[in-house]
Amino acid sequence: MAHAPEHGHHARTLPANLGAPAFVNGWRRRALIVGAVFSALSLLLAVLDHSIDHLLRAWLLGFMICFGFAVGGMALLMVQYLTGGKWGLLVRRPLEAMSRTLPLVFLYFLPIGIFAKKLYLWAAISNPAEALKSGLISAAQAHAIAFKRPMLNLTTMWITTIACFAIWGFYMWRLNSLSLQRDSDTESPVHYWTQKFENLSGPGVVIYSLTLTAGVIYWVMSLDPTWYSSVYGLLFLVGQGYAALALVILTVLTLAKGEPFKTILRVTEQHDLGKLTFAFVMLNIYLAFSQFLIIWSGNLPEEIPWYLDRIRGGWGVVITLDFLFHWLVPFTLLLSRDLKRNRKRLIFVCQWMIFARCWDMFWLIEPNFPDARRNLHFSFGILQYAAVPVALLAFWSAYYFFQLQQRPLVAVNDPHLAEILEPDHAHA
Amino acid sequence: MATKNVPVNDPMIDPATGELRVIAPGHTFKSVTEKISRIVLTSHTPLGWFGGFMVASSVAGILMVAVTWLFLKGTGIWAITQPVAWGFAIINFVWWIGIGHAGTLISAILLLFKQSWRNSINRFAEAMTLFAVVCAGMFPIIHTGRPWLAIYWLFPYPNTMNLWPQFRSPLMWDVFAVSTYAIISLVFWYVGLIPDLGTMRDRSQTRAGQYIYGIFSLGWRGSVRHWMRYESASLLLAGLATPLVLSVHTVISFDFAVAVLAGWHTTIFPPYFVAGAIYSGFAMVITLAVPIRKFYGLEDLITIRHIDNMAKVMLATGFIVAYGYGMEVFMAWYSASKWESFMMWNRMHGPMGWSYSVLIACNIVIPLCTLWFRKLRRNPLFMFLLSLVVNTGMWFERFVIVVTSLYRDYLPSSWGTYRATRWDYATFLGTLGLFTTLFLLFIRFLPMIPMSEIRIMLPQAKIKSEAEPLHEAGD
Repeated sequence: MAHAPEHGHHARTLPANLGAPAFVNGWRRRALIVGAVFSALSLLLAVLDHSIDHLLRAWLLGFMICFGFAVGGMALLMVQYLTGGKWGLLVRRPLEAMSRTLPLVFLYFLPIGIFAKKLYLWAAISNPAEALKSGLISAAQAHAIAFKRPMLNLTTMWITTIACFAIWGFYMWRLNSLSLQRDSDTESPVHYWTQKFENLSGPGVVIYSLTLTAGVIYWVMSLDPTWYSSVYGLLFLVGQGYAALALVILTVLTLAKGEPFKTILRVTEQHDLGKLTFAFVMLNIYLAFSQFLIIWSGNLPEEIPWYLDRIRGGWGVVITLDFLFHWLVPFTLLLSRDLKRNRKRLIFVCQWMIFARCWDMFWLIEPNFPDARRNLHFSFGILQYAAVPVALLAFWSAYYFFQLQQRPLVAVNDPHLAEILEPDHAHA
Repeated sequence: MATKNVPVNDPMIDPATGELRVIAPGHTFKSVTEKISRIVLTSHTPLGWFGGFMVASSVAGILMVAVTWLFLKGTGIWAITQPVAWGFAIINFVWWIGIGHAGTLISAILLLFKQSWRNSINRFAEAMTLFAVVCAGMFPIIHTGRPWLAIYWLFPYPNTMNLWPQFRSPLMWDVFAVSTYAIISLVFWYVGLIPDLGTMRDRSQTRAGQYIYGIFSLGWRGSVRHWMRYESASLLLAGLATPLVLSVHTVISFDFAVAVLAGWHTTIFPPYFVAGAIYSGFAMVITLAVPIRKFYGLEDLITIRHIDNMAKVMLATGFIVAYGYGMEVFMAWYSASKWESFMMWNRMHGPMGWSYSVLIACNIVIPLCTLWFRKLRRNPLFMFLLSLVVNTGMWFERFVIVVTSLYRDYLPSSWGTYRATRWDYATFLGTLGLFTTLFLLFIRFLPMIPMSEIRIMLPQAKIKSEAEPLHEAGD
């Protein structure tokens, strides 16, 4: 049955089949092939490097990116329920599909938890005082590890991680099951579902912010147990929005080559999504630069080494490129109104932003380790940063595409459906 | 909780979206224009307005006395001495600047996000911004003690000693940030007023009104070309003003955060200062909107939807503020620094620990436990009282940051305390009077709700296809 809107004189009509177009199958197949090839490459690089250290570091990068898509996508979904708006109709089902990849993301975490001693200094050092005497660690590291022991230990890390994933899992299940129920419920007034999703998403966003902060402090910030920054959780929160939004726009625009998105995607909403992306680009640099300025001005011995580790010894090139990739390029491009309304160009910007996020994560992770600190150098190991994340992302993408195929791509019982099927305005 | 028994026949609920209506049904272009312009063009000023004006201007008189005494005696009449060298002056400055933020957010960011509900409140929120900036700007000026000399000493001059202007100092950035903010806000507010000033010119019955509104309406005729330029200017100004919402309070947070003092030097300050500014700004908009809508019978233009939406913004920003407090406490421990730990312990349990308790109660416990409830968010009286609580909490936030970080620093030998003088209180109280006086003058002489923006929200303004029947469109 075709879903006809109730009003709108020249309104378009939704096609009968709201499922993902057939070409998504092809995407999935290609993603699996890329995943297999890059997995083999990762193993080869580990053999050449005679170590799995870099494989694990790169794995952490891949995990953080996929985690950002799954949980960041879910957070964006909740934000959309709270703010409302027509753009929600376009992104809802792709965001739901992103959130349903959470079980795979948890599997990705397992090697990090199992091999934590190879990644985290606080996990490797059981007796900081003795390690200090032996010259394995500095006095600052020994003090930090001993002081933070109640938090930075493997048991607490596992408990926190499992608790966080359980909470996100609950929200994933609830948001996805209610969305399907809403589709089939034609009896209840519009209010009912609007309020139900608001009631779920309001506390959900709060809980997400807190659990995300806990997660990133354990998984990334504690790679250097001496360093701290109170804005770190927010930086990741905005970073997740940056990448998840780029991915969901990329998905919507590429899906629009076929039905049903071909019918419902209007230039007006595409432009709005472009503007939202621009806002995230600005927020991201705002937080990153504020953190830098405050720490740089303070110039305290507890804080400034973290930046020096990431600027000196060749890392200056990486941070400069990070600034260009992460902010200057998307900022400059997204200033253009025409670009935001041009499908092909916006797809390019979204792809660029996902790459920039990976680049930024590389800059955040690798200089934590003694061999790389203030010393960017070539090794077979460093190539793992190209191989492992691509492999993890490829398998994750295949699973994401599979999830996209599981449900209709358009939520039919939505108050904005009639509006979005109206003809596009001449200007926005 | 969501319920299926929602009042489907409530005229204030849009059946298509299930959301509260932004303006009550039944209005025409004519009724909107008459209702709003009548408040200004009437020759019978309500007695209540006179009463309010008398009280407010009397309180503003306290400011005149306090400032006169300050100029006669010098800044020694304030409690600004070591170890708290800034005291009330900087607390009040930050508090007032923060309050101004809601106006710019409503005018600029909500315009870019196409949030039409902003239309009813953006004019007086923007006016509130301007008056708040006036009150804020007074403190850095009068705290010099001899402002007429300060103009000479503060004027940037080329110097080799990097004394002034010291471009690496956030205090210097403040000068540019706040003055830019004031200029853009004023221009934005004025540009938004032009179509309405044209309406006031045309409807004014007095010669003086026709001349004055006529001059300031800059020859507005409402032609298509005028509207096109007006829309372009609004969008451009919104684009310029949007970064200012973030930048002004960020720069103010840098006044503290770039220092190395425990309690000030923390990276969460920029976003949490901005969120706190929006939190207090929206609280002030509610403080003003609730009595005004009741007094002038504007409940159909400033509806429960506005109160509810502003409450939601307060809930979101209040949570960011709470997150900031939480991260400060957590990082005081996680930093493994004894200075940070002591600062936080002293802030909570030291001699001035009571101020931290007031802050947490007013900014977190009371608002964030109540704003989750839809019924409370939609209760104007409750929201009015809550807005007072929040702004009390936000004042204490600045008090806690300034005083409790300074009065016990690294050296116990330099510890002291802080006790504001009667002149500190008088000056602060006086700015509240000045703010209210300016606001009352604004609502008496200018249309507080943008008539032109309300008219375009009416169903009659929607472009219809030829097949659909035309409805009555008013004048």
